[in-house]
Amino acid sequence: MTPRPPVRAAAPALVQRLTVKIFTGSESLIQRLSKGKIESAIGVTVGAVWILSAPLFFVCAIADFLDGGPDYLPLLIAGLAVEVAGLVVVRLSNFPSSLPVARLFAAVFSGALAALLAVTVAHLATGVATTIDVALVEAAATITGTNASTIEPESFSLGMTLFRALGQWLAAAAIIVVLVRVLPHLGVGGLDADGGVATRSARRLAPRSGSTMARLMTLYIGLTGLFALAYFAAGMPWIDSVIHALTTLSSGGFSTRSGSIGSFESGAIEWVAILGMLVAGTSLPLMFRALRRGDLHRFVRSVEFRVYLGTVTLVVVSILAWSEGLPTLTSARHAIFVTTSAISTTGYLSSNVQNVPFGGEALLLVLMMIGGMSASVAGGFKVMRFMVLGRYIGRELRRSIHRSAVEKIHLGRSSIGETALARIIGELFLATMIIVPVVLVFSADGLGVEGAFTFAVSSISNVGIAFGDAWPLGHLNSLGAIGHLAAALLMVVGRVSITPVLVALGGVGEPMQRSLRRWRLTRREGSVR
Amino acid sequence: MRRVAVTPVRVSGAALLAIAAAMVLSAAVAVIDGGGAAIGLLVASLITALAGAALFYGSKVSPTADSALAFASVAWSWVAVSVAGALPFLFTGVIPWIRFDDALFESVSGFTCTGSTILSDFGSVPQGLLFFRSMIQWLGGMGLIVLAVAVLPALGIGGLELIASEAPGPTADRLSLKVRDTARRLWLLYGAVTALIAACLVVVGMSIFDAVTHAFTTVATGGYSTYGDSIAHFDSVPVEAILILGMLYCGANFSTHWHAVTEGVNAYRRVSEIRWYLWIIFSAFALLVWVNVGEVEWTQNLRESLFYAVSLGTSTGFGTSDYIAWMPAAQVMLLVLMLIGGMSGSTAGGMKVLRLQVVFRYAFRELLRARHPRAIIPIRMGRTTIEEQIATKVVGFVLLYLGLIVVGGVVLTGLGVDPVTAFSGSVSALGNAGPALGEAGPTSNFLVFPRVGRVVLMSLMAFGRLEVFPAMLMMVASLRGVSQLRRRREQFR
Repeated sequence: MTPRPPVRAAAPALVQRLTVKIFTGSESLIQRLSKGKIESAIGVTVGAVWILSAPLFFVCAIADFLDGGPDYLPLLIAGLAVEVAGLVVVRLSNFPSSLPVARLFAAVFSGALAALLAVTVAHLATGVATTIDVALVEAAATITGTNASTIEPESFSLGMTLFRALGQWLAAAAIIVVLVRVLPHLGVGGLDADGGVATRSARRLAPRSGSTMARLMTLYIGLTGLFALAYFAAGMPWIDSVIHALTTLSSGGFSTRSGSIGSFESGAIEWVAILGMLVAGTSLPLMFRALRRGDLHRFVRSVEFRVYLGTVTLVVVSILAWSEGLPTLTSARHAIFVTTSAISTTGYLSSNVQNVPFGGEALLLVLMMIGGMSASVAGGFKVMRFMVLGRYIGRELRRSIHRSAVEKIHLGRSSIGETALARIIGELFLATMIIVPVVLVFSADGLGVEGAFTFAVSSISNVGIAFGDAWPLGHLNSLGAIGHLAAALLMVVGRVSITPVLVALGGVGEPMQRSLRRWRLTRREGSVR
Repeated sequence: MRRVAVTPVRVSGAALLAIAAAMVLSAAVAVIDGGGAAIGLLVASLITALAGAALFYGSKVSPTADSALAFASVAWSWVAVSVAGALPFLFTGVIPWIRFDDALFESVSGFTCTGSTILSDFGSVPQGLLFFRSMIQWLGGMGLIVLAVAVLPALGIGGLELIASEAPGPTADRLSLKVRDTARRLWLLYGAVTALIAACLVVVGMSIFDAVTHAFTTVATGGYSTYGDSIAHFDSVPVEAILILGMLYCGANFSTHWHAVTEGVNAYRRVSEIRWYLWIIFSAFALLVWVNVGEVEWTQNLRESLFYAVSLGTSTGFGTSDYIAWMPAAQVMLLVLMLIGGMSGSTAGGMKVLRLQVVFRYAFRELLRARHPRAIIPIRMGRTTIEEQIATKVVGFVLLYLGLIVVGGVVLTGLGVDPVTAFSGSVSALGNAGPALGEAGPTSNFLVFPRVGRVVLMSLMAFGRLEVFPAMLMMVASLRGVSQLRRRREQFR
């Protein structure tokens, strides 16, 4: 069957051309500037992140100035400092001619750290955070799209509110860049959750990665605009609409009010947020393909999407069944809201936060672990990975009886190779190894058993809300400085995924590793097994 | 008489005969004690013996033997003994017939060496029944199938596969060329250690009854005590010291112990798992002491922290105080210990240290591979390279294990149990530890869970003791066996 020609609308085409121009312009600017003597991918990445994030400071400073807020000058100065620092670092660096995988990992991680540092500077400069640990954890929540904060949203100026929301939005946009440009070279990472299926599908959108990126960015920008309008139409003030659209589509979760979306006490607004969160947890390449050709059957054909929606439905039904009284439209809305908030790792709250049964809490925690679809901007371990793990367990059970059976794991029409499978499992185990000590730190630093465990899962999945005594958003406030640093670490690890972080850190201690390996080789191994 | 050629039926019959013998022994204790329950125990033993004899003598071993049959045999025999083990509680009237499921819970908790109880008033329970309760843990500890293979030549089967299906850990060590000799040696060592611990406990002032029952449950790392407040009842440092040593010994691999007995203590040095096992318990002890500083008085802190690090690190579950009053970090540490459990090939439950080692090395290998994508890196344990197939099996087991904890926790919370109690109950039941956190702490009992919840916990205990795979494959293998029988009958016609 001949494929239908794509329907081209004028506005998206304009946005796409603009996006391409911005990207090519930024790339050529960085390439022109990076002519230094030090060959370092890390230097170029850090410099590029700082140079490109400085406009965020200026835009927010202007917004704050127009609103008459107190933060425009600190934001402007911080922005200038970040820009200058970025220019200096890029001018000193030169992009290396060859780039081994380990250095690419290190570059990705250092890019995240550079963004963390820039946002920390903004929080300290404006005085919203008085200590470094608070500034770091607030910055980590911003760049990782986690709805965790120690500060009441009402106390922020417009400039800082916009800065944090835009920070979450841009961080999610950066994920799209990483998905298309970097992950195909790495084969691991948060978005490449299925061992390459997502990146392969993303690469197939267009022959050139630049065009693919522009298409996905256009979709992302278009959806953000659409949801801003939807929020406004549902009765939200326009500034709140823009800010909530930014944090909904990025699955970030920051709000302008302490009570999150629920404080608007509007069913229409909550329905818009539900839809937005569902979209944020959906694969971007899948949405692009389905919307470009108007072929909504693509959603039905995607096995991951079916599992994603099926999981949401199952949890909603379970929560309603376990709740007291008969289900009503309002209780159904609250159940759907809290479920989509957990699976999309947004972390918004509805107007009825107290009414989650124990069983619902447990299921929501599982959803936080699962997260959104692969190649979406949501956090978590990703639906695709859990599907792969389920198939893996099934295969091992069958192998217990048929010892010599050779069986390949299939997901839809894609098969998952053994190497990709091992990476997914390795990633899960490494994440568990990080979570356990952090739970100990949290529980020693002021949280109860339930709060410590759920907040650790919530942090690594970039959700923000957690259960226990501090439910829903009081966990960061209950923690001390060490707890804040541990939470920031988990958030970054959750966003960048554990392998790049550990590989990058492994690179730092490489000489030590080498001597350790030499010692182990020369030593006679005492134990037989 | 025409015998049915079904191995699971024959194995179940043999296991039931062993339980009937245990009931008779318990009845003898009840007669000596004079506290009643002898008749109830004898009636239960008669019914069990009749059922066991009918199954054993009415069947023979299947002509074909494979792993599926081994899984089915082990799993069905455990179902049979669990049901039979509930009868004494009902016939003695300690648990009314209307609460048959509670009697089954106590029996499953016993055979699986979990140690979770629904009894609250231990003073009113006859000593004969308390003896039986401890004895089923002792029998379950080393495994009834291992016992059957060791002492019943008439069983007619002796594949290492069968022992491996019941033995805790990913592999079963062969101590002799003959499987029966392996089983005999294991039970000999098991019995000797039990006798030694009982003797030591008598020496430090315990009554013979208490010493024997506690020795049974220490060696089995089960954790049933004859008192409601467990080991705290004795409030004795020597008793605690003996139990700590006993638990530590029995939480380690019995094959390694046998090698150490025959070849000297150097045998321990050859096994890296034992270093990990001791390091985990020592680190947990140090962490517990550190967390409890300022909360618990110093000497008490050292004593209780060491006891609980060993008790939960070996999945025994004896208690000397209420750790629910401890800091949350200490409780998290105890939960981690329950999750890991003891060494493979020991009587301890949990995920096993060996699997933790494999998982660690597997994860770090992937990290190395991410750095050096073309490198071929084997998973090594000491000087031995772990086969890829074993590694994937271990990884599959660990994933399934974690998945079962989550499923158990979700179901229990769905039944209205608070999340901490539910998830820790799930970890404890699957790891056969005994006490949990929240409302199901060491001074409480498992009546805090709803009735259906206790059924869920029972299933988790069985999954945990039979190491998940055999239990899950029981149904598959049984269905396959039934269809094979039908096919054979059709061919015969």
